[in-house]
Amino acid sequence: MATISFDLVSPENLIFNDDVGTIIVPGKDGDLGVLPGHSQVMSSLRPGRVMVYSEDKNLVKSFFVSGGFAEINPEKCIVLAESVVELNSLDKSSIEKEIEELGSKESKESEEQLLIAKAKLEAITVSFYDKI
Amino acid sequence: MPSLKDIKTQINSVGSTKKITSAMKMVAASKLRRSQEKAEAARPYSSRLEEMLSSLASSAASGEGIIKLLTGTGNDQNYILVPVSADRGLCGGFNSSINRETFKLVKSLEGNGKKVQLMPVGKKSRDFFNRVMKDQIIESFVDLNVSSTGYESALNISNKLQELYFEGKFDKCILVFNKFKSAISQEVTQQQLIPLDVSNSEKEEEKENSSNAIYDYEPDEETILKDLLPKNVSIQIFKVLLESDAGEQGARMAAMDNATRNAGEMIDSLTLKYNRTRQAFITKELIEIISGAESI
Repeated sequence: MATISFDLVSPENLIFNDDVGTIIVPGKDGDLGVLPGHSQVMSSLRPGRVMVYSEDKNLVKSFFVSGGFAEINPEKCIVLAESVVELNSLDKSSIEKEIEELGSKESKESEEQLLIAKAKLEAITVSFYDKI
Repeated sequence: MPSLKDIKTQINSVGSTKKITSAMKMVAASKLRRSQEKAEAARPYSSRLEEMLSSLASSAASGEGIIKLLTGTGNDQNYILVPVSADRGLCGGFNSSINRETFKLVKSLEGNGKKVQLMPVGKKSRDFFNRVMKDQIIESFVDLNVSSTGYESALNISNKLQELYFEGKFDKCILVFNKFKSAISQEVTQQQLIPLDVSNSEKEEEKENSSNAIYDYEPDEETILKDLLPKNVSIQIFKVLLESDAGEQGARMAAMDNATRNAGEMIDSLTLKYNRTRQAFITKELIEIISGAESI
């Protein structure tokens, strides 16, 4: 099976750069599964999980991105994300606390952050995509 | 003629200055390396973003709302200038060249009948413009510490700028900053931030047009562009802040290197003077003793 080169880039640095088997990215209109030879797509992303699998479909890494863009062509997939955290470094209780704090504020900014925080919480609680 | 003690004190004080400047040089050198790494790490993101943007730019003819970041307001009467300086001095001409360049630009724009406002970043340019054109400053950002706070600091500036832009407070935004050329040289650069200047990326677009033309867009080009444009403003600012930070460390390193060398030269010449004076004293004393002995 072929591999596709995958770059995960945040404004601060290059987070992931390797050849992988499959990637799932949270596209704005729904998740995109990217395999080698994918057609050329440019998509904006919603807050959610970016899952990286090896050639034999084992989960290699999982990240949470707060939004961004993905550029996909047959050989390469590039995800530009605003903030990236590794999924297993997230802590459920601290996110819940964050949601509580943000919920009490009423500004446009905190609303956006609340959406992101909720997506974060969802990302660590759900387990689909763990195996494909 | 200064006494021996005076010269000795002088030598000591120059010596301690030298110690400070050489320590500062070392610190700047290590910070420079870090800043440079940061600036390089940020490069893939901004270059990717620019590529995406240039391939999308053609699809936006004209429009309202966020697209205005690309197409402009149609006016060019009100300018906002963002000089990016350092928070601290002792880095040679780094800050003053930014201030001078911005000042010149303000004057030349005003000469053409434009209205200019300022949004200085960094203590050194804030203080300068506070003195010379206080009423034109609408906001200033200091103590950013871009190498430790990272992207957040750029976001603040970018949000403020966009807020003002959509309120119709200005038509064009120009950044004035020190571009990092090498560890010892920086170049004062002006970059138009809003509306986005695609003229230089357009050339690249032509090159890559063949490969970019067949992209599918999801959800659609306009939505992506709407997401992309504000982000691009933040990223550009972030890039500039990082470059300026690296430039500052480089400038400080060069300035301190010079200072250390000058202090060394000064110590040499003072030591020479000290020895001469000491010799002169000894000779004088000898003459006194000999002439005293002769007179007996």
